[in-house]
Order: sequence, then structure tokens, then C-alpha cells
Amino acid sequence: MTLRTIRTVCPRNCYCTCGMLVTVDGGRILEITGDPENPATQGKVCLKGLSYAERAHHPDRLTSPLRKNARGRFETIPWEEALDEIATRLRVIREESGPLAVLHYEGSGSHGALSALAEAFWNPFGGCTRAHGDLCWPAGLEATRLTYGHNRHSHPVLTRESRYILLWGHNPAETNIHQWRLILEAQELGARVAVVDPRSTDTTDLADLHLRPRPGTDAALALGLAHVIVAEGLHDGDFLSRSAHGFPEYRARIGDFPPERVAGITGVGEEEIRVLAREFAGADPGLLIAGFGLQRHRHAGQAMRAVCLLPALTGNVGKPGGGWQYANLASHCLGPPPGIPPGPSNGSRSFPTSRLGWNLRNLSAPPLRAAWFEKANPVSQHPRTTEVRRGLKELEFVVVVDQFLTDTARMADLVLPAKTLFEEEDLVTAYWHPYLQLRQKVFESPEGVLPESEVWRRLCVRFGFTTEAFDLDPSERLRAMLPAGREGVLEELRERPLNLSDYGDVAWDDEGFPTPSGKVEFSSEEAARLWSVDPVPGYQPLPEGHEGAMAPRYPLQLLTCKTRDRIHSQFGNLSMIQEVDRSRVLDIHPQDARARGLDEGDMARIRNDRGTAQVPVRLAPGIRPGVVHVLEGRCVEGDPWMNLVTDDAVTDMGYGATFYECLVEVERA
Amino acid sequence: MTGFLLDLNRCVGCGACVLACRIQNALPEGVTWRRILTLNQRRAPKGPTYHFSLACHHCEDPPCARACPSGALVKRPDGVVFLQEELCIGCRYCEMACPFGAPSFDARRGVMTKCHFCAPRQEAGLDPACTEACPTGALQFAPDLTATRGTFEAPAGTPGFADPGDAGPNLRLAPPRGGLRMQRLLSLKALVGGESEGDHG
Repeated sequence: MTLRTIRTVCPRNCYCTCGMLVTVDGGRILEITGDPENPATQGKVCLKGLSYAERAHHPDRLTSPLRKNARGRFETIPWEEALDEIATRLRVIREESGPLAVLHYEGSGSHGALSALAEAFWNPFGGCTRAHGDLCWPAGLEATRLTYGHNRHSHPVLTRESRYILLWGHNPAETNIHQWRLILEAQELGARVAVVDPRSTDTTDLADLHLRPRPGTDAALALGLAHVIVAEGLHDGDFLSRSAHGFPEYRARIGDFPPERVAGITGVGEEEIRVLAREFAGADPGLLIAGFGLQRHRHAGQAMRAVCLLPALTGNVGKPGGGWQYANLASHCLGPPPGIPPGPSNGSRSFPTSRLGWNLRNLSAPPLRAAWFEKANPVSQHPRTTEVRRGLKELEFVVVVDQFLTDTARMADLVLPAKTLFEEEDLVTAYWHPYLQLRQKVFESPEGVLPESEVWRRLCVRFGFTTEAFDLDPSERLRAMLPAGREGVLEELRERPLNLSDYGDVAWDDEGFPTPSGKVEFSSEEAARLWSVDPVPGYQPLPEGHEGAMAPRYPLQLLTCKTRDRIHSQFGNLSMIQEVDRSRVLDIHPQDARARGLDEGDMARIRNDRGTAQVPVRLAPGIRPGVVHVLEGRCVEGDPWMNLVTDDAVTDMGYGATFYECLVEVERA
Repeated sequence: MTGFLLDLNRCVGCGACVLACRIQNALPEGVTWRRILTLNQRRAPKGPTYHFSLACHHCEDPPCARACPSGALVKRPDGVVFLQEELCIGCRYCEMACPFGAPSFDARRGVMTKCHFCAPRQEAGLDPACTEACPTGALQFAPDLTATRGTFEAPAGTPGFADPGDAGPNLRLAPPRGGLRMQRLLSLKALVGGESEGDHG
């Protein structure tokens, strides 16, 4: 045996982005441990990271291109035949309908800077149709940018120095395990923990205070907290006079949100609102960590603006252990790969990603005829599954690149096998810690698998496009993408993760806010101009909220949250994960279940006008009555597609999706 | 004596320990040396929810060894309760005798299997794979359990933990200390002790 241990990084769409050490015997993984050189992930990986030992060598992994035959069955075909067919079909479609008749869709299934090499094909192709925005987090990103100027937060390890941690729409015990460890340590050092979440979770179990508002009413709760803070003189007048823009307008707005009114909107008790306001404002320092959960509805951006102002109102911004934590883009410092030819001047076209299903079927001039999906499984993950599936069926030609035959791959005409993270060197950024990490190559791809970069190169050859972007030595290419001005970075990255940003560990400690006013924007004219919203964040009831027009027929609010066992539709197919997986159930409050004649273990039908899904009942006394929950992400046949019932609306800013604005009724199946 | 420490305040029941064990010991599907047992998974507010990560506790006086008719199970001087597979007749008496369900039957081979405390790793100066993998620091290896008094206590009497009888499991638990979990544990204890639930709100 020749054992080697190689430093690499987990590239999944996850807060932690753990540094990993992988021990292999030739091409087989023997052990995976955390990289102790990553100060944020502290030498540990989660169960998903461990499960790569199975995933990388899984018998279901695709190792040959597949083509669907006339009977709808997949047959393996050689790469050259697959690429010839792709080239022929795309050429014909481009000639007849123009390049925009082709959709290139890339999801978040695997992060790596080399993804941008796709442009080396699509630019000379004449552009293509794309999706913009994101299914996950963009409303919160834009709200933070409008308020504070950019998306930065303090170094995660400073969480330990907090005296009060307010987790809002966030469940780090499941979705950000390394952050959870830091929160536990802060709590052991005496910090109080409060959680705002309509569900009860491992995170809320450790809370000293747990508020369960109605989904979609977070803006009202935030404005109500601000009302109490200002009414009781607990705001930081010095900070505000130095660094607030638009505070008088904001102050007028929060005047409309006394706790009595906010209690009626949110369903949270008046006293709880007062207690949380006093505790958070009285803590020094206080840290507000928001998850993505409260920004998955139509008014998400305004809600996030209201929430993210609370640390500024209380003077916690710029303090170690205090402030606002949402997303940290400090590691997003890479340039594009060199040698990519420019795109067409008249540009590509795009649509908000949430609206994929509708656009597959309804785009015109030209209509879509072909689509290419990679790092994505929209049949499971996009809202309005029925529309997405219809759209895919109606296309002439669908190519899917994946490691497994996913729900989306099954609908393809051609499936190309994808490499794993271990099979090509790449650079990986993060969105929780500030570290850039090198995803070192651990072993060769199995016979029959090509990295996407090679797929694009071979297509460029077939089309007679320049292959300049692919001709560079892989290390030289990565080096050229790194920020200029520092030598030997790639070599250092082989030894440890690096924080290459010129920001300090404490976000905004100089109170330099790159906003139009140079201050924290309590009122944002930019928000009004870009997104046609009220410059001062306010609360509006959701169109599909608890008082919406659908509510009489569909009175339950459905949340489809994330779990520790999977990243969306990834990992759930592994036997190791299935051993510890909490199976998918409908969490419903006993009183809501009783009213519908449902008991533990009964099969429930969840339905609205968009679709139905069947899931067994689990009585959940800890969930807010009127709210039901099923984990998102389908991994195995037989699981329900929860997005059969979710809607494809777009958030008020950032072009996000509205998964949690979803009314349903539940009945015995 | 060596043993495991489990901090019930820190464990989130993620199962990283279960996977690390499976990978380290190349366990076949269906054989499990470590499990997660969750108390009050529904999160009924009358009691706390917490997780036990449980393997063999390498008891001082192991009931499994007492029950084993073939002498396959022994308590070694290094503390490991060890299964000598070549002596195992597959009768599964140990499984019935163990209060914690630690031995795991390999039906394909017709023999019992169990945690050997990662003895080979320990000999190489490494902690067991399960404790090494724990991302929250909840599960730890204790080279000397007698030196870990204080926060950690013997597990008997912890709600949800099986009655160990006189086995003397080499596991120490740190009880829930934080937040609603602790409040609910107190109210559960009060409920069991016959006090009214309202006493602890």
C-alpha cells in the first residue's frame, strides 16, 4: 500500500466549506478528516464530508455518456459519439433559431472557479440563454449590500466573544456545524442565545429564548423590536449620529410598530418581543446571525433590511463578537480563467432562476429548443416541479452533466458523467469563513469520466473555436486567476487555506460603509431606485401568507427546510447517510393534526392548486400551530418532490425564490 | 481506566461518529457499532430533546462476557471488551445481555461483531475514529475516566439512558446545561418526582 494524504476542500453549497485531508491508497479513499489548518472549520468535517468515502466510489456513479434510445431507455455510448451528437444538434438549432434558443444552466452543486471555462464555449457560440439570481440567498445579500455596502462579516471565531447571539431563521446545529460549535463555546462562556424560528430544532433546544413568529412576518417583528429599543432609549445614539443615514425616517416607521400591533401580526407575545428587545439591546456585544430561511418570500429583501438594521441600531456593528452576520464574500477574489474569448456584444438573455419552469415553456423570440444542465437538479430543486418537468419534456434536446442519474438526468436525451471534487484541481471560495482554499486533485477520474473543462475543450474543437483557455498548464491557469500582488499564493494554498482579503477580522470596525451615503442606510434611495420598494423597510402581508387570498382554502404555511444529512438532493442516495438519516416526515402540530383526523405515522397528502405530495405524519408539538414542515431535497425514488406545491414567484430584490411562501392543506391520503 | 465522554449539551445527533466508525472499521451494511439514540425526537415540550451517541461502553463487569457461553468475549487488561471472533458461535446471547444493544450481528458471516475501542488506533497513539470525527467536541475519548470528574457524571439515572445494572459502563455524561433543554430536563425530573409541571414553567 502506498498511502498518501492530500489537502483539499469540500466544494458543496454549504456555509462550512471545510478544509479536508483525504488519505488514499491509489485511487481509493481510506480516510477523510478535517484540515486543522483551517481556523474556522477547526480540523473537522461533517457527516457528509465523511461520506465521500462512499460517494466517490459509489456503484451507481456514472462512468460513461448515456443516450436515451427510441424506447426511452439509456444506452452507454462513447464520448466521441456523444460530443458529435451534441455538436450537430447545437449547430442546427443555432442556425435555425439562433444561439439564444439554447439554455445553459449551472447550479450550485459543486463550487470551483473553473466552472467559468464554460464561457470559452458559449461566448464564441454567440451567447446563450441563462438564468440569473439564485434559488437560495440573493434577497439577503442585496439587503445587506444596500444597508452596509457589501457582504462581509467578522471572522467566525469571534463568535466566541459574543455575549448575546440572536439566531434568526437559522439552524446552525444542522446547517453550519462549525458555527454551532463556536456558539456552544460562547454559551459556555456565558453568552445568552435567542432563536427566531417557527420550528423547534436542535438549535432552538439550546436557546434561552425561542420566538416562533408566523412565517413571512419577520419584518414586523424586527420593526417591533426596534420600536421597543428606541422607545426605551436602548439604541446607540452616538453610533447613529456618526454612522446612520435616514434614521429620522426609520424612526417614524418603527413608530407604527408598537408591540401590541406586532404581536397581532407575528403571533409572538408582546412580552416576548419586549424581552428580546431589551436583552439584545442590553448585551455588549450582541451578534445577530441570520439564516436564509426568512428571505424565501416575495417581501424578503425588505424583511432582511429591517432585520439587519438591529445590530446597527444597538451600536453592535464593528465590535468583535458583535454585529451582523449573513454572508461573508471576503474569499470571492478570483478573476476569470485567462484566454476566454469575449462574448457577443448584443449579449445573452436571461430570466430569474426561480422562473425556470415557466421560461422553459414560454420564452419566445426565440423559444428555447435545447438545454444544458450541470451541477444542478432542477426537477428536485426548482419550484413548480410540474412546470419544470413539462418544460424539459417539451425541449428537443436536453444534456445533463452529473455524477448520478438524478431526477433531472433521467429526463435528459444525453447524460454526461461528471468528475468528483477529487479529480481536478480547482480553487474554492466560501461564504461563511474568509478563506480561499485549493481543491487539490486526489486521484484520477475513473475510466470513462472527463472533467467538464475537457468537455468544453472538445466541443470548442468541434466548432472550430479557439482553445486558448484550455491550452494553459492547469496550475498556471489557477495562478492567473488569483489576485495580483502576492507571490507564491498557489504554493501556500497547498499548505493551508488563505485569507487574501484586505479586510480585518472585525467587519466595519472602521465604520467605513461603502454605501452611497457612506453610512449605514436606514433609508435607502438606492433600494427604491433599483427595486421599486419603499426606501425605509416596512412590513406588508405576504400575498400567499396567513391572511392571503388562498388562506381560507389552504390554511397551513409550509416550510421546506434543510437538514444536516444532505445538501439539497445530494448525499441522500448513500447507504452511510441513510443509516443516520432522519427520514422525511410531515411535521405538524398535534392540534392541526387532530383537526384533520391525522395521527402519527398516517400518510398525509399535502396539496394546493399547484400540486400534491405525500409524506407520513410526525406529530411535532414544538412547531408553531398553522405551520407545517417537510425537509426539502429529493434524493431517492419514492421520496416526494416538495416543490410540486411551491410557487415560482421572485423576491422583491436580488431575484431569489419564494419557497417558504407556500400555503397548503393537509389531509389523510 | 479508559472510556468515552459524551456531552449531552453539545451532541446534535449528526451521526458523524457513526460514519467514522463505519469507515474506519470497514463495517458491512447492516452492522453498526455506534448508534444515535434521540430522546423525545418529536420535541414534546414536557421534556428535553437530546441525543446519545452510543457504542460499547467497555464495561467494568461486562454482562455480554458473562452471558457468552463460548468464552469469545473477554475484558482485556487494557480495558477493551474484546470479541474473539474465532471463538464466537453466533448464539447472540451477548446481544440479549447487553443493556445497550452494543453487539451487532453480522448475519452474512453468522458471527457477532462489536466495537473494539479502535484498539489498533489507540496502540498507534490515536484516539478512536468516532471521537476524532465529532465536529462539536461532544464525544471524547478519556484515557483516564477517573480524571474527568466534575462536569461528567456516571450515566445511570440520566433520563433515556438504559439501566446499566451492575455492568459499570465506562461512559461519562455531561448533562444538558443550556437553554430550553435544561429547563425541560428540570421540569421532566420534577414530573417524574411527582411535582407539578407548573413549578418550572
